[in-house]
Amino acid sequence: MSAIAKPLIGSHATEEEDPRQHLMHDPLPRGEMNAMVLDSMHTTTWKYWTLAGILAFVVLTCLIYAWYDLIMEGLGVTGDNRPVYWGIFLVNVVFWIGISHAGTFISAILRVLKIESRRPFTRAAELMTTFGLVQAGLSVFMHMGRVWLSYWLIPIPNERTIWPDFHSPLMWDFMAINTYLLCSTMYLFLPLIPDLAMARDRSTGWRKTFYRILAIGFRGTEGEWKNLKTAMNIFAFAIIPVMFSVHTIVSWDFAMATRPGWSSTVFGPYFVIGALHSGMAAVAVVLFMIRSTMKNMKYFIRPEHFDTLAKLSLMVSMAWAYFYFNDYLVPWYGGDQWEKILQDFTQRGPLGWLWYLMLFCNIVVPWSILWNKKWRQTPWLMAIVGLIINIGMWIERYVIIPEALTINRMPFTWQIYVPKLEIFLTIGTFALFFLLYLLASRLIPLIPVWEVQEGQESHMLRKIGKAHISTVSEID
Amino acid sequence: MTNNAQTPVQKGDPAQNVEGKWGMVVDQDLCTGCQACVAACSMENNVPFVGEVDTGYGRSQQWIRIERFWNGSYPDVTMTPFQPVMCQQCHNAPCEPVCPVYASVHSLAEDLNLQVYNRCVGTRYCANNCPYQARVFNWRDYMDPRQRPELVTLSNQFNPDVTVRRRGVMEKCTFCIQRIRHAEDTAESENRDIRDGEVVPACAQACPASAITFGRIDDPSTQVSQAALTSRGSHLLEDLGTIPHVTYLAGGA
Amino acid sequence: MSDSTVLLAVFEDIEPASKGIGVLQNLGLSDDQMNVISGIPVKEAILGRPAGRTHVAQIAMGGAVLGLLLGLFLIYGIPYLFPLDAGGQPFYPIPQGLIICFEMTMLGLMGSAFLGMFLDSGFPSYTPKEYVSEISDGRIAVLFHCPSGKQKSFTEALIKAGARSVSPAEARHL
Repeated sequence: MSAIAKPLIGSHATEEEDPRQHLMHDPLPRGEMNAMVLDSMHTTTWKYWTLAGILAFVVLTCLIYAWYDLIMEGLGVTGDNRPVYWGIFLVNVVFWIGISHAGTFISAILRVLKIESRRPFTRAAELMTTFGLVQAGLSVFMHMGRVWLSYWLIPIPNERTIWPDFHSPLMWDFMAINTYLLCSTMYLFLPLIPDLAMARDRSTGWRKTFYRILAIGFRGTEGEWKNLKTAMNIFAFAIIPVMFSVHTIVSWDFAMATRPGWSSTVFGPYFVIGALHSGMAAVAVVLFMIRSTMKNMKYFIRPEHFDTLAKLSLMVSMAWAYFYFNDYLVPWYGGDQWEKILQDFTQRGPLGWLWYLMLFCNIVVPWSILWNKKWRQTPWLMAIVGLIINIGMWIERYVIIPEALTINRMPFTWQIYVPKLEIFLTIGTFALFFLLYLLASRLIPLIPVWEVQEGQESHMLRKIGKAHISTVSEID
Repeated sequence: MTNNAQTPVQKGDPAQNVEGKWGMVVDQDLCTGCQACVAACSMENNVPFVGEVDTGYGRSQQWIRIERFWNGSYPDVTMTPFQPVMCQQCHNAPCEPVCPVYASVHSLAEDLNLQVYNRCVGTRYCANNCPYQARVFNWRDYMDPRQRPELVTLSNQFNPDVTVRRRGVMEKCTFCIQRIRHAEDTAESENRDIRDGEVVPACAQACPASAITFGRIDDPSTQVSQAALTSRGSHLLEDLGTIPHVTYLAGGA
Repeated sequence: MSDSTVLLAVFEDIEPASKGIGVLQNLGLSDDQMNVISGIPVKEAILGRPAGRTHVAQIAMGGAVLGLLLGLFLIYGIPYLFPLDAGGQPFYPIPQGLIICFEMTMLGLMGSAFLGMFLDSGFPSYTPKEYVSEISDGRIAVLFHCPSGKQKSFTEALIKAGARSVSPAEARHL
């Protein structure tokens, strides 16, 4: 049923654009698509290995050795002090969890809303979720004073006969982040199974064994597809509220505190939108990197996908501006003296330039660039905008955490935060993220080919009146 | 002074009947800012010597600090009363519900906030949530003889009644609970109640101006109860509803 | 069944596959003597097949209930076993209860949907199975029990309906 109409170039029955620009109207035989994906997985150049080597070196020094130093010396090697007990580690936790929300948004929300252009990049986004959550988890462990006792947060019977305290937002964090990590990894794996089966069928050697084990004997019988699709549907619907709840709970780490600047009731949705903002932007960056460095990816990831992401990103950036204005206006108007001092410090203090930079990156840049359709379809431009938005969102978390902690109700204790070893550890987490992604890109088929084929089979051009209109049938 | 028969028995309570709710009064009109209380508290409670660099960065670990402010701007500057701030032992302590591992719990019997050093994993949420910033963190092993051998002999003056904390653990003023417990044990063994003025925390003991008074606030006849109820008394950050156990006297003649 | 052989007919696309299944149905095969293996999921009605049943949803619901019970234990059972006063908050708090019960219910729902999928499909399974790798190249295969002796006629009918190939299905390691 691969129904595509006769060539339309030269016909004035449609708009000028060639429908074959769109992936869904440019089908290739499945076998060929499979070969393209596997080819890109198997291709590693010297550039790949050099980059992997550099990243591994950075991980070894900036993450592993620096963390060893942190554990042995204590948190004194960081820039934390009284009153800024939480610094860049917590900024990274919130940042990485934010990045991880993009995967779920694209994979679950776009799937539920049947936005078909999501098809080729759901897996790339889901991988970001898993690897982002790994970095968030590492950052949580990094900030703990006695990390070797962190297993005390696990609620299981033990010989100390004492359990963790669920009154604490940190325990809600523990349950929520673990739930989200487990569920998004399962949700990554489910649609991956048919692609692993495809890779198993076409591989030899160690890869064949690897994919054979991971493909768990999937063949594609009716029963297997029915079970798989049912499970995927349950996940798609259920992981959306979990996604909302996770970043809300993370925001409650701050909102539950009785501090000026933190005790804000808008933190829940504000953080969720912030997460989507940075996450969508990060997906654009990652997709650009995949498209420009991996073979054959230009067929799968096209300017139309950047267009979709950019439109969503623009909407989310407006939502973010709305929530930020909310969070800003209320203390500005009727906040107590401490909130006003905090706002003054944030905007006119020694770090005021950061605040302006944040607004520039999060609002000015997306609003001035993302409205233009041609620019939205330019991958390298979208990647740059994505990078800028991520910088802005990282700064936003820096403003919320260490800067807000400087000002409290006991002015004698006020002190500015100057980060030290955390900078290296942050670089280490970024390096680990990219390293994991680099390794995964050669081990896991990055494009869900069965979903692309499913989409291509469902799309057709139907003649309505004088034009050929793209329509989608629900063949499953 | 009678036992409070309504005190519920909680797991972890000492076996003997624990008496009384403890409180403190700080007379800011008497305080000279001499910091003898700071020194005495550090000696009594094995507070580590943090050193110049880290202290300058805000990592001093004194459990009590003398806050100094001024009125006006140069050259018309006048002094304000010195403000010694230690853990206020709040009845509704905001530091307690946020600890994920129950390291910051409330003693219902004595109405004190307890910091359990060996349970603390160092998430520092309690410190962020304390509106008085009364909690301090062990950023390093400051008294590690391998790193600072010049401090080895200071270990000889450690108080054996008080735990020595390692890096990664929160600590704060405990109202010298070791002295409270010692007095309770003595009174129990002598078959009597604790006398007013028998429990003297280190800061009260060292203060040359007798600015700090300590005792049972559930007994209206004690010195501390009577001092707390004078018209000069107020609490820090009262509107937050933490119900602190430290009353500050200021503004009198 | 000793009086039939298992044959595998491979079709290029959905239309020939549905025609072929119609042919098999006309030749007298019942629905449970056929199975369809495909590279993308196809609605059963398109191929003229009966709607499949799955237990995944029920398993997921059961898991959600277990998750809820776990959440209730964590937030209310623990303070019951170990009452430690913290900050004047009630021992059995409702807001925290809602949060923890929600998270654990969702974890139970999704975790058991995942495990349910494994259980219901018999994953992981590394025994030899009837399969051809053309299926993951987008083809649709129909596995059916052909009555012995009728192999040739069935094959001819299916080739006429558009099958690329009809051959005995051999179970082999995937």
